[in-house]
Amino acid sequence: MARDNFTRLRDQFDWPLFIAAALIAVLGVVNLNSATSVYSGSRSELYVSQIQWLAVGGILGGVVLAFDYRHYERFGYVAYAFGVFNLVLVFMLAKDVRGAARSIPFGSFQYTPSEFMKLFLVIALAKYLHDDPRNEGRTLKDLFVPALLTAVPAFLILKQPDLGTATILILVFLTIAVLTRIRWRSALLFVGSAVPAGYIFYNFGTHGYQQARIQAYLNPEADIKGIGYHAHNARIAIGDGGLLGTGFMRGTQNQFGFIPDQYTDFPFPVFAEEWGFAGCVVLLALYGFLTVWSIHVASQAKDRFGAVLAVGAAAVIFWHAVINLGMAAGVVPVVGVPLPLFSYGGSNMLTMLGAVALVMNVSMRRYGTVPAPDRL
Amino acid sequence: VSFPGLSGGGIRLAGEGGRADTGEFKRRFQWIALGMVLVFLGLGARLFELQVVEHDDHRAAARENIVRRVTLATTRGIIRDRTGKTLAASRPAYNIYVVPSRLDMQNVWPRLVEYLRMGPAERAEKEKEILDMRAEDNKRKDQQYLLKEDISRDAVADIKTHERELVTVTPRGKDLVAVELVPVPVRYYPYEEVGAHVLGYMAEVDADKLSKLHASGYVEGDRAGVTGVERSWESYLRGTRGWEKVLVDAKGTRRSGHDDIIDEPKRSEPIPGRDLRLTLDADVQKALEKAFRGELAGGVVMVDVRTGRILGMYSKPTFDPNVLSGGSGKAVIKAAFHRLYTDPLKPLLDKTVSGAYPPGSTFKPFTALAALEKGLVDPRAMQQCRGAITFGKRLYRCTHVHGPVDLHKAIAESCNVYFYNLAAPEEGGGGAVGMDIIAEMALRYGMGTKTGISINAEASGRMPTRAWMTLHNHGHYTLGFGLNAAIGQGATTVTVLQLALAYAALANGGTLYQPQLVRAVETSNGTVVQEFTPRVRRQIDINPQNLKLVQKALEAGVTAEGGTALLAYNNSGLRELGIDVAGKTGTAQVTHHRDSSLDDEKSWYFNRDHALFASYAPVRSPEVAVVAIVEHGGFGGKHAAPIAFEAVRAYQQYVRTPHSAKAAARDGAAPKPARKPPGRPARGHGGP
Repeated sequence: MARDNFTRLRDQFDWPLFIAAALIAVLGVVNLNSATSVYSGSRSELYVSQIQWLAVGGILGGVVLAFDYRHYERFGYVAYAFGVFNLVLVFMLAKDVRGAARSIPFGSFQYTPSEFMKLFLVIALAKYLHDDPRNEGRTLKDLFVPALLTAVPAFLILKQPDLGTATILILVFLTIAVLTRIRWRSALLFVGSAVPAGYIFYNFGTHGYQQARIQAYLNPEADIKGIGYHAHNARIAIGDGGLLGTGFMRGTQNQFGFIPDQYTDFPFPVFAEEWGFAGCVVLLALYGFLTVWSIHVASQAKDRFGAVLAVGAAAVIFWHAVINLGMAAGVVPVVGVPLPLFSYGGSNMLTMLGAVALVMNVSMRRYGTVPAPDRL
Repeated sequence: VSFPGLSGGGIRLAGEGGRADTGEFKRRFQWIALGMVLVFLGLGARLFELQVVEHDDHRAAARENIVRRVTLATTRGIIRDRTGKTLAASRPAYNIYVVPSRLDMQNVWPRLVEYLRMGPAERAEKEKEILDMRAEDNKRKDQQYLLKEDISRDAVADIKTHERELVTVTPRGKDLVAVELVPVPVRYYPYEEVGAHVLGYMAEVDADKLSKLHASGYVEGDRAGVTGVERSWESYLRGTRGWEKVLVDAKGTRRSGHDDIIDEPKRSEPIPGRDLRLTLDADVQKALEKAFRGELAGGVVMVDVRTGRILGMYSKPTFDPNVLSGGSGKAVIKAAFHRLYTDPLKPLLDKTVSGAYPPGSTFKPFTALAALEKGLVDPRAMQQCRGAITFGKRLYRCTHVHGPVDLHKAIAESCNVYFYNLAAPEEGGGGAVGMDIIAEMALRYGMGTKTGISINAEASGRMPTRAWMTLHNHGHYTLGFGLNAAIGQGATTVTVLQLALAYAALANGGTLYQPQLVRAVETSNGTVVQEFTPRVRRQIDINPQNLKLVQKALEAGVTAEGGTALLAYNNSGLRELGIDVAGKTGTAQVTHHRDSSLDDEKSWYFNRDHALFASYAPVRSPEVAVVAIVEHGGFGGKHAAPIAFEAVRAYQQYVRTPHSAKAAARDGAAPKPARKPPGRPARGHGGP
C-alpha cells in the first residue's frame, strides 16, 4: 500500500497545479519583501513569517491531500457546523481591530474563522449537491437549502463586519449554482430579484464606511485625500509601472508610503509598479491557469462531490483574485479581500493552500477505478 | 497497516449510481472556465489601459506625490548710508508653530510654556485656543498653528537644545513632531526711529496686492516695502527666490537618496537682493533727530548744493519701522498702527516730501528775483515801512515798523510791506510784480512741481497763477491775492524738499538738481552694479548780479545786524567754527480753525503758525542747503533756524573735509561696510 501511495504521488501528482500555485506564492514572498522594505523592525521581516506560513500550509495541504476527498464528504456538515460555531465564537472572543472584529487570539496567533469557513462552505455545498443528483432542471426552490447554507455564515461574517468575505461566500455559492442545471426561468427570476435585493441590502444592510467605499468606487476622483485615497494611489502605482516596471524595490508609490495595507490588501499595486504590465500578465496568467485548470480537474472528477469541491475551491481562489486585482485596478469597490497565495496573512494562506490541496486531491483521485472508501 | 483513504470497496458507489453522475454539470464546466478566462482578460485589458495607455499620466501623478518644489529663501538687500553704515538689514527671527492634534499637553506643553517664558495669562489663552482646536472635528487641528512670533533668543536657544523633549511620543512608541521652530527673516533698522520716513518699512503683502504681485513671484506671507526707499527700490532690494526639488514621502517627511528620480533642473539658486548705498549720512540723521528734540512736529532736509544729493532728511514725529515691519506679531503691529493713525501729529506723514506748507517769508528771495529779472524794481530804491499798508479795503501787516527799506534790507530783515508794494500796482496800473511773474520764477526754481524724488507720496505744492486764483474764487480775482503771493502766503504751498532744492539753486548760481537719495546699487559682496551720477533738472538763467543781490541779502539775514536769524546764528556756535550761513526765516500762517474736538490747549497749538528757515552754507563756497520747518512752531528765526544751524554743524562735523576726504577714499576702495572694524576714524575733528 505504501508503494501504491508513492507511485500515485509520482504519477498522478498534479504538477501543473502545484507549479502554478508555487510560482504565485514565490512571487508573493518576493513582493512582500519589497512591500515591507519601507518599514523598519519586525514588519520588514514579514516575508520570513510568510515563508513559515507557506511551510505550515504545505504540510497541512499534504495532510488534506493524504485523505481521499471522499472522506470529507461524510464530515461535510460536521465541518460546516464547526465553522459556523467558530463564527459565533468570534462575537464573543474577537478583539476590535480598526472597527471590525474578525480574529480570535490564539496564543501569539490570530485565528480567523471566516477564512476557513470558505472551505467548509464549499465542502457542505458539494455534499448537498452530491446527495441531490438531478437530471431535470432545478427551480429556485431546489436551491433553497444550499442558499441557506451560504446565508448563515455570510450573515455572521457580514456582522463582524466583513463585507468582502461575505461577498466571496455568496459569489462562491453562485458559481456552484451555475454548475447546476437551473431552469432558465428560475435563473431570470433570480437575476430579476437580485437587483431590488441588492438595493435594499445597500440601504439597510451596509455600514456607512462600506457605502462610502462604494461611492468612492463610483466616483473615483471625488475624494482622493479621504475615502478614495487607497484606490487612487493604487491606480497610480499600477500605472506608474508602465510596460516593464520600475524594478524591484524601486516603485516610488510604495517606497514613499503611498500604498497603505501594501502587504495585506494592496500587494498587487506594489507588484504592478515594480514589474510593470509584463509582470502583471505573468501573474494574471498564473491565476488564470490555476483556476481554469481547477475547473478542468473538476470536469474530470469521478463524482459529483469531487466536481463541486474542485469548482468551489477554484471559485474561492478566483473570486479572491478578481476582487483584489479589481479593486486595485479600480474596477471593483474597495473591500478588504486578500490576493490568494500572494497577500500576507496566516489564516488566508492556509485557506488558499487548503483550496489548492482540495483541487489536487480531486485531481489525484480521478484516475483508475479506485473505489470510494467505505470507512475512515 | 492500511492507509484508510485508499482501501475499501465501492459499496456505496455501487448502490447510488446517481451521485457519481456528473452529467448535470456537463458543459457548464466550460462555461465557468470561459467566464473565468474572460474576466482575467478583462482585468488584463484594464491593466493595459492603466499601465500602457495611461502610463504617462500615472507616472506624472506618482512624481507629483513625492516631488516637492521647496522655495529657497533669498535675502533682502541691505540699505547703507553714504559711509557704509547699515540703515536697514535683515535679522533672523524665529516663529514657533505647534500642531494641536499632535501636541502632548501633559508632558510637552508645560515645557514649551517654560521655554517660551509665557506668563500665566498668555498660557491660559493659548492653552484654551489649542484645546478648542483639538476638540473641533476638522483638519485645522492637524495643521500648524502659529503659537508665537519672533520669540526671544533665549527661547530659541532653549528650544533648540531641548528639541528631543518636545517630541510627542505616541502610546505605540512613535515620535510625532508637534513643535516646530521656523526661521523668518525680519527687517531690522538699527537707527530705529531716525529717518524712518526715508527708509520706510515693510509689511506683509495683503490678499489684494498679492493677486497683482503674484506674477512677480510674491507668495502669501511675503513682506514688501510699503513706504520710503523700501518701497521705491523694492524690486532691487527684494532678490529672487530660488527653489529646489526634494522628495517627500506620504507623511510629508523629507527623504534623501533616490535623487535620480527627480527630473532636471533640480535646483535654481536664489539671487540675493541688491544692496543700496544712500546719499544720506547716518550721523547727520542722528544730529537732525537731536536738533528736533525740543519741537513736536516738523521736518528738515539737507541737500548737497553741488549734486542734489540728500544728506539728511528727517520728519517728526516719527515711528519705529522695526515695530511695523517686525516679527513681534500681528497684534503688536496692529496696535502700533492704531496709535500712529490716531495721533493728531500724523507720524506716518513724511513732512519733508508729502507735506505742502506755505513758504512764508522764505519765498521772498524768489519774489525779489522775479522783480529784478523783469526790471520791475530798483534794488537801491527805498520804501517806507510803517508796519502795514492798506490795499483795497484791507490792512496788510508787517512784522514791525522797519522804517526805510531797500531790497537788501527787505529780505534780510523780512519786511512784508516792501514786497506788498512790489506786488501792488502803481497808481494807474502797471509796473506791479504780478502773481504770474512770481509763479513763473518759483516754477523755474522747481517749486510747485514734484521734484521726482520717488519716495513716498510726494506733494507737488502749488504756485497759483491769476487764472488759477480766479478759477478757485468763484470767478473773481482780487489784487490782494498777489500781495499774499509776494510773501509766500495764501494759496502758495511748497514742500520742504522743494524749498531745499530751490535754495541749493540759489546757492550754486542756478543749477536745479534732481534730488538724489540712492547713490549706488551694489551686489551683496560689495561690487557696485550701478552708480548714479547727479542729474540736473534745469539750468536757471538768472542775471548773476541780481542773484548776487539776493545772496548778499540772505547772508545778511543770518549774520548781519538786524538779520532775522542773527540771534539763533550767534547761539549756534557756527561763528566760532568759522562757518557762515545765508538764509531766510519764514513764518507761515496757518488757516485759523476751531476744531470742537480739540481742547483749548491743543487748539492753541494747532492755530500757531509754522516756523520755517531756509538756508545754505558756507556763504563763500556753498556746499549744503538746509531747510527746516517746525509745524506750529511760531517764529521761524526762533524755532526753525536753530535746527538748520544744528544741521550745518553736523555737516561740518561728519561730512566736510578732511573727514569726508577719508570717507571718499574709503568709498573709492569699495570695502564691505558691514565688515568695517568698529574703530572708525574719530568723528568731529574736521573743518577749518
